[in-house]
Amino acid sequence: MRRCQALLGTFVEISTDQDDSQAINEAFSAIKQVQDLMSFHHPSSELNIINQKSHLESIALHPWTVDVLKIAQEVHQYSNGLFNCGVGQRLVTAGLLPRHIDLSQHQLGGIEDICFRDSQLITSTKPLCLDLGGIAKGFAVDKAVESLISCGIEAACVNAGGDLRVFGQTPKLIHIRNPSRPTQLIDIGSLQNGAIATSGLYFSRRDQLQSHIINPFAQDQSEVHLHFSDSYSIVAKECVYADALTKVLALSQATDHPCFNYFSAQAIQITA
Amino acid sequence: MMSTPIIAQAKIYVSIEQAQKILFPKQSLTKSPIIISDELQEKMRLASSIRYPFRGDRIWKTSDGSWLIIDEVIGKHEMITYAVALNSNGSILGIEILEYVESYGYEVAEVDWRKQFVGKTTKDPIKLNQDIQNIGGATLSCKHITDGVKRVTSLYDLSLKTIR
Repeated sequence: MRRCQALLGTFVEISTDQDDSQAINEAFSAIKQVQDLMSFHHPSSELNIINQKSHLESIALHPWTVDVLKIAQEVHQYSNGLFNCGVGQRLVTAGLLPRHIDLSQHQLGGIEDICFRDSQLITSTKPLCLDLGGIAKGFAVDKAVESLISCGIEAACVNAGGDLRVFGQTPKLIHIRNPSRPTQLIDIGSLQNGAIATSGLYFSRRDQLQSHIINPFAQDQSEVHLHFSDSYSIVAKECVYADALTKVLALSQATDHPCFNYFSAQAIQITA
Repeated sequence: MMSTPIIAQAKIYVSIEQAQKILFPKQSLTKSPIIISDELQEKMRLASSIRYPFRGDRIWKTSDGSWLIIDEVIGKHEMITYAVALNSNGSILGIEILEYVESYGYEVAEVDWRKQFVGKTTKDPIKLNQDIQNIGGATLSCKHITDGVKRVTSLYDLSLKTIR
């Protein structure tokens, strides 16, 4: 059975040969929970509480939010800062995210300024405007996969609007959109027990939106939004790493960036 | 200029019957079509900013006053059929996507190609590609669904809640 719900701002598809609606419901619930915890759009999400208060007081977080922040910090570290969730304010300014609080007066920090006090408590040394849009979708896919496995599903695919993970005994054929003709598909082979995520600007361009890929090292406004026509995909064991690392690939343009090796990931660049 | 568009993807997820079971696993549903007057149609258009008319013939009710409504959103690049379950006070119990049809290319944006899909079912042999399962790529936005759900909740406020 194959089902689809609108979550995380996109269409999330779960397909499995087993006819187990309850298992799929629980997997969608896991994704919904990631959305509720980490959505920038939802004013009372844990992410927005971090953005409002983490520089003022310690904040107790759900273990999943802690996990995502830790992975975000790890990818930040090994990408030498290319992956940084501290770019929320840039996306607000571009009209890509809603404005909840006025941070224009603040010198904002990045993901590196989060300090983990214990397994649940975090603080920040600087005011933050984190956006987890570049990593939470992959994390949600992983949580849905874990949920399906714990419900006894033997093989499935979870696809969150193009970021997907498959598991089970049989390899699954994977197609990627052609960046110059996104409704045409490119057969890139098959994948077994792995994830693939892609960054591309073709839908943003089609919908006349500013690029959502932000250069964290931008010195002036003209360098903030990265523009490109190719598409950048990462294959990794877990979708959270695949998702985060596509930003490293898009920003570095280096399919051999050392951090891919560190995270046992492979980079695929498709030229437009 | 009327070129026949090629449809890259048509995904049929669940049937109406399956969506009913997913959203109301333990309840039986009775079909309760609503006649949508021009005035109601206009109010729903204002509430949701969706211009094409709402069809009132795909509405079901449970014995405890919950509702199941099927609707479509038709965007420039896609057509999505979805089901919304509302409880008796109008709050959303769940939303399930039934079908997703994606268009070919941007060049057909001005052509009224959508007409040919409205009311089509899975049996219609338009150029569909249903074999391709796992499609990766840049994130597709589900923004249109939000407008659609707004239209369905406005139907509740304007009409369904007065029906007992």
